[in-house]
Parts: sequence; C-alpha cells; structure tokens
Amino acid sequence: MPDRRSFLRSSLSVAVLGGSLPAAFARAASAQALPALGRSIDPANVLVVIALSGGNDGLNTIVPWSDDAYHRARPVIRIPDSAVLKLNARIGFNPALAGLGELYAQGHVAVVQGVGYPDPNRSHFEATQIWETASPQRPLGTGWLGRALDRMYPAGTKPPSLFEAVALGDTLPAALVAAHVDVAAIGGLNGYAYNTVKDVKTQAGVLYDGARPGGSPYLGMIAETARQAYHGGDELRARISGYTPAVTYPTDGFARQLRLAAQLIGSDAGTRIIFVSLGSFDTHANQRAQQDRLLKYLGDGLLAFFNDLAAHGLDKRVLALTFSEFGRRVNQNASNGTDHGTAMPLFAVGGGVSGGIYGEHPSLTDLDDGDLKFGTDFRSVYATVLERWLGRNSTDILAGTFAALPIV
Amino acid sequence: MALISLDTSTDPQVGYRPSGTLDAESALAPYAGHFGVRQAAHLLRRAGFGGSAADVARTAGLGASAAVDSFVHPAAPELPFEAYPPREVLYAVKGGQARTGTELWWLDRMLRTQHPLAEKMTLFWHGHFATSIAKVPPALMARQIDLFRAQGLGNFHALLAAVSVDPAMSVWLDNRSNSKAHPNENYAREVMELFALGLGEYTESDVKEAARAFTGWAYDSHTMSVSFDPRRHDDGVKTFLGHSGNFGLTDVVNIIVAQPVHQRFLARKLLEYFVYSDPEPALTEAVAQTYALCGCDIAITVGTILRSNVFYSARAYRALPKSPIEFAVGLLRYVGATSVPPGLPDALRRMGQEPLAPPSVKGWDGGPAWINTTTLLARFNFVNALVATSRPAAGAIPAAALSGAPNVAPDAIVSAAGGLDPARIVDAIVTSALQDDVTGDVRATLVAFLRSGGDAAMTVNPMPFGPENYQEKIRGALALTFNLPVNQLN
Repeated sequence: MPDRRSFLRSSLSVAVLGGSLPAAFARAASAQALPALGRSIDPANVLVVIALSGGNDGLNTIVPWSDDAYHRARPVIRIPDSAVLKLNARIGFNPALAGLGELYAQGHVAVVQGVGYPDPNRSHFEATQIWETASPQRPLGTGWLGRALDRMYPAGTKPPSLFEAVALGDTLPAALVAAHVDVAAIGGLNGYAYNTVKDVKTQAGVLYDGARPGGSPYLGMIAETARQAYHGGDELRARISGYTPAVTYPTDGFARQLRLAAQLIGSDAGTRIIFVSLGSFDTHANQRAQQDRLLKYLGDGLLAFFNDLAAHGLDKRVLALTFSEFGRRVNQNASNGTDHGTAMPLFAVGGGVSGGIYGEHPSLTDLDDGDLKFGTDFRSVYATVLERWLGRNSTDILAGTFAALPIV
Repeated sequence: MALISLDTSTDPQVGYRPSGTLDAESALAPYAGHFGVRQAAHLLRRAGFGGSAADVARTAGLGASAAVDSFVHPAAPELPFEAYPPREVLYAVKGGQARTGTELWWLDRMLRTQHPLAEKMTLFWHGHFATSIAKVPPALMARQIDLFRAQGLGNFHALLAAVSVDPAMSVWLDNRSNSKAHPNENYAREVMELFALGLGEYTESDVKEAARAFTGWAYDSHTMSVSFDPRRHDDGVKTFLGHSGNFGLTDVVNIIVAQPVHQRFLARKLLEYFVYSDPEPALTEAVAQTYALCGCDIAITVGTILRSNVFYSARAYRALPKSPIEFAVGLLRYVGATSVPPGLPDALRRMGQEPLAPPSVKGWDGGPAWINTTTLLARFNFVNALVATSRPAAGAIPAAALSGAPNVAPDAIVSAAGGLDPARIVDAIVTSALQDDVTGDVRATLVAFLRSGGDAAMTVNPMPFGPENYQEKIRGALALTFNLPVNQLN
C-alpha cells in the first residue's frame, strides 16, 4: 500500500487554501463578483493563454487517486497510486507534471477543478469555438481576448505596439479574433518577415513606405497595413534582441514558443497577451504515452518559463492560463484511450497566483450520461482574468456577469 | 445570470462604402459606356477569378453585353473535370491529406474552369452556407460544392430546399439529430439568421416551430444520404412567421423565401460580393426588386448586376479587397499556371481563407477582415516564393509550379517590351498585370529596381540591368508588382 500521506512539500500550507476547505470555495465560485480588492492592477500585467488542443483528459491530469471509482473505470490507463504526485488525500498530479509540481510547491499554481459549461459540445471544432469565443449558445465572430482588445483600443485608436497581442502560431486562434485590433500571428521568428532576396526586399520597402492613399476606402488601409507588415518582422527581432534567457529551455516546440514568449515579455515589445497551443491531446487510443509526453512538455516548459521570468524579475506580472475544449469520458475505451467528454481542470500559473486547489473535484459516480458534471463555468475563470488581471470589466466581453475566483 | 446582448451582427464592412454619390435612378440600367481593358479586367476579376492579359484583351473585344453573356451563358463547354475521388481513395491516405486533397480538387477547378461565374457563385454559396471540413467528412463537402455549382445560378428557392436536405449541412448544423422526441433548433435558427432573413426578422417561437417542421430528415452515415423518416417527424400544427398549418420542411422554406426582407437580405449580400461594401439602401432595394420580379432567379439577378452602370462606375472599380482565394487563384490564372501548387491550401490558410474551412457558421467576414499584418505577409511571401527568384528557399513552393506559365517567363516580357529597356519592361508588366493602375512613383521605383545592383548572393556586384541578370530582375519586379497594395484590390 503506497503512503497516501506523502503529499507534495507544500501541501500543508496549500491545504489551508484549498483541499481542506472545499465548501468555502464552492461558495466563492457561486458568489457575486468580488468587490474591488483595494489593490491596483499592474498595467504591465501579461496573460499567456495555453490551449491544450484536442481535449485533455482531466482525470489523468489531476488524478483522484484515492477514489476507487477512478481505478475501476480505468483498469489499464490509470495512474497507480504510487506514481501520483499527491496534493492532498484525494488528488494529485500526473507524474509527468513534475515540473508543474515544483511551481505548485512554490505556491504559484492554482488548480481549478471541474471547469465546463451547460449542455457541453463534444465536437472539437464547435467546442473550441465555444471556449475561444466564450459563447456556448451562439457562434460569435470575435474571441474573448479579441473583444478585450477591442475595448482597450476602440475603433480609431491603435495599440502602441504591433505586438500588444501575439498568437504564437501561423494563424490566429478564434480567441484573438478582434473586430478592429490587428493581432500578429507569429509561427516563428524567421517566418514572420517579408522573405525574399535582398534587392527585392529593399525595393519593396521603398514601395510600401512611399505608398499614398488613393480614392478607395480600402487602399489606404491596405497600404498602411502592408507597411506595418513589411517592417514588423525586423522590428520584432530588433526589440527582442536584448533579452537573453536565464535558463536552458527544453528542446520541444512548445518550450521554444514559451522561450519566444519570455523574450517578448522581457523586451520592450509591449506584449500583454500571448496565445500558445500544445497538442494533440485527442487520445482515443493508447492514451498514456501520448498524454504523458504532452503533459511533460507542459510542466517542464512552464517550469523553465517561470524560472527564466523569475531570474529577470518578471514572474509576478505574468499569468499563464491553460484550457482545453473538453475533458474526456470517465471510462477508458477498448483501445486503452478515452473518448470526448466534458469538464476538466485547468491551471493558472504565475508569481501573482494564490496557489492551491479551487472548486470540488467532480464526482466519478454522480455522472451525466457517463460524463463528469462541471462545477465552475469557464466564463468565471475568464471573468477572473479580465477583471483581476487585465483590469477590464468582463460583463460586456462575456455577455453576462460571472463571479470571479480568488486565484489572483 | 443576466444575459446581455452582445452585438455580433454588426456588418464589418460599414465605413468602406466608396466616396461619391449613387445615381439610384440609372444604377441598374445597362452600361453603355466605354468597354476597354480596364472594364474587361474588372469583369474578369469580379465575375470570375481574373485572367491573363490575353483573356483581358479577348474579353474587351467582345463588348460589354457579349462579355457578360460569356459569363452568364458560356458557350464554351466545360473541361472534362475528374469526378471527385471516390471515398476509398481519399481514406486510403492520412486524414489531413484527405482534407488537403479535397481542397486542391476544388482549387484546380477554380484555376482551369471555362465557366468562371459558376465557380465564383460556388464560392459565394460556400461562404453563405458556410459549412466546414473541420466537422464534415471531405466526401460530403465535395458533394455540397457540386450542389452549389449545379444550382448556384439557378433558383434560390430550389437551392435553399436542396441545401436543407444536403448531407453535409445535415451533419454541420445537426438537423440529422432533429426529431420529434428530441428537437434540435440549430438548422432552423441559422436558416433564418444566416441564410435567408437576417437577425431580428423572426422570433424565438419561429425558431422552435421551424425546428418542429424540420424534424424527421435523418442522415445515414453508411449510405451518406439524407432521407425522410415519418416516425421521427412532428406532424402537429405549427405557427411560423404568421402562418399556421401542419408544416413540413418544404412549407417552411416556402414561407421564408416569400418574406420581403429575404429579398433585401440576399440583394445586399450579392452587392457586397460583386459591387462594393456597404451598398446604399436604394441600390439594395433596386436589386431586391429585380430579384423578386424574376422569382428568385440568381442568374438573372447577377446578370443584371454585371451589366449595370453601377458595376462599371468608378465607385465600384477596385473598391473591394481581394479575398485570399481571389488573390492566389487570380495570380495563378494571370501567370498562366496549368496546375495548382500542392502547398496552396496551406498558403491560403495563412492568408485567412482555407477553402472548405470557414471559421464558423457565419462564414468569412470578408472586407476589411481580410487585411491584417499576418495575412498580408502570407500573401507577400506566397508571391515571393512563387516568382521572386528562380532559387526559392527550402520548403517554399518551387518555381517549377509555374512551368508552363508563359506570362511570367522573363523572355516573354522582354519580347513584349521589345528589348532590355527597364522603363519599357516596367511598362509591359504594369500594363499587363494592373491595367496601368499605378502612380508615376511606383513606376519609377520599379524602374530603379531593375537598374539597381543585384542581390549580393547572386551577382558580382553592382551589375546593371542586362543579359546576365534580367531573368532574376524581372522576376523580382513581378513580385513587387503583385505585392503592391493596389493589386490587393479586386
């Protein structure tokens, strides 16, 4: 019998915040929006949103290790008790999340359990739209972060930097689609540039810089955007050249993106919102190997990222938030994987985070057609980030009032 | 939780109406003015996907009326295009390849079709009835595209009825799950909001009642077909948009199409696609009347627009941004490419318009939403990889994609210009590619480019324009021309 008391080092202190007081947090999650905290919000705060795309299995991420129903539902793909990095007498991290465990032990990780929304959608495409546009009922053309940007910079005004919001990837995620703020999608430093032979590039600059607006209402806008696009890559490289990472990052693609995120944050690029993706978590078959590999990228990448930021004195103004379009079903399937499900935990990580466990772990026996019931609406998490981290009123952005959580 | 209204119906193109005043009286009267290369190129870009300089000259030679006829009633037979690859073939390859393969199948048709207006309308209806390969199997997407091609210039009433039982749509908006026991309102709502009437033109009760009428159309994934199952149909009395009866799917479609607001809804959308952004209400009303008088005949309505004074007015000329597909396919048609580069779907995704994959049920916003720094860089780098050099970077679309592309062959351009004179070569390029729609500054900059020292990596420093570097230099000048802001306008 493994020692069910061998919790992570800081478990006693966080137990006060979380595990031992679930009722208090259930109350907080359903309460009115918290009154102003009497603290100012740093206008330099940065939000890093991490999409775990494909639908991350929550039960093998935050493992309800002492629940027999968990072991019964997953005879092959369960994480054995002895391997779980225990947070308290009920739950613990998948061991692949050891890096995240270190940050948790420092008190910099909030685990929000059982996040979802009513009438959950199990299509990757539609569920992703729902999470990223924050609109379960109706499709929207703009994302929740895009709408925040539109309100920070109303029509006719522009962010001071072209890199105010950046998607690390070669297309814009729905979350960052704004009505009028231009968001850069940067697949890589080399790709984000006007790429051609030198003499062509030089003369293209002459053409774009010398363009004069014409009669068509579109021509002036296109000429100005072309000029920005042309110079954007060089400007980006110049701005981030002064930042030297203080740690060695892992070599996977996700860690490379986080390294670029740290460069953006640590230089004068003026970046406030960053979107990164990691996947695919769509583990219909042979789940353990695939999910564990990805969770290790997540945990180790975030550890390197925050160690780097801390060495530069930046970790307190960076908040990383994970999400996934859905969790997975409770029972493993016949291929030692799991199929599309519902609620899942998400992580908020950073020097400004009140570490601990928020919300109740969903019951594995009180199910909705074999699926977990959600306890916290994902828009409460968004409201928290908008109100308490970015200093925005969330009601119009989310088309409703959702109670903030005390995670930051 | 108090839901507040989040306005998502705002037309993003408001503010992009051309300056000047509409002459509403004569706007839709047939155009009788000069029909030269500018008017011909305008027609080719709007009613199709552009063309080569030779296509422009040939179209100009027809005169306005016969030129429009050649689009609306093409005399030339269509090429013998391969039927969509059978399911077994597509599923023998990996999932992503089935998606890309289906997209290439359609893009090839856009490139080589002899009936460009039918294909342009197919793209219009794909954006209008926006269905995505992200949820729907590729074979069903292909069948839906075939439906738009077959009926896209027919009668809207028949098209809407066909779309309502189309397998791809049945999967996409869940009407396959709509039964008497478990009504699903998804299709009932969108058919009114997005396809025919617009937000605010119906009540929530209308949505519920229409959903009841739409019950019973089951999708069979083995036969990949939709059929009516009376056991799943709600055959009670419904009250819908002021009418009551034991309505089924056809009745609801009939009632929707008869709404006067539908005529304006579709008229405005056609004007924004073919003429300019944010059309005046008087112009929308005039097109709506034409559409109503001909009983929802799409070919007559679109033909009226393409023949009209307002279509050839200065206010409509280069007044719309090219969509990524218009930009990329137009470029390939201009240069005379005979096949689609395999990397085109990925390039289009970066430009913001992967065919068969609209971002949501609302389709692509279009207009100003096509233009941002990321999507423009994707356009520019697509061009640069295609034509700027004969030595493209690793991973770029190889210039070999343009083998058999006579109109970017430097020797052909030198021959058209009558020699290696930089000014005459620039003349030849901007006249052929842009109907001379460039300022003197741009022309001078392109001439200066041809005269400047070459790329250090390829020449022995500074080398005046001449026999040793004209190939690379002309390719560069072409790329600079294609990447001009004015060439982003349709």
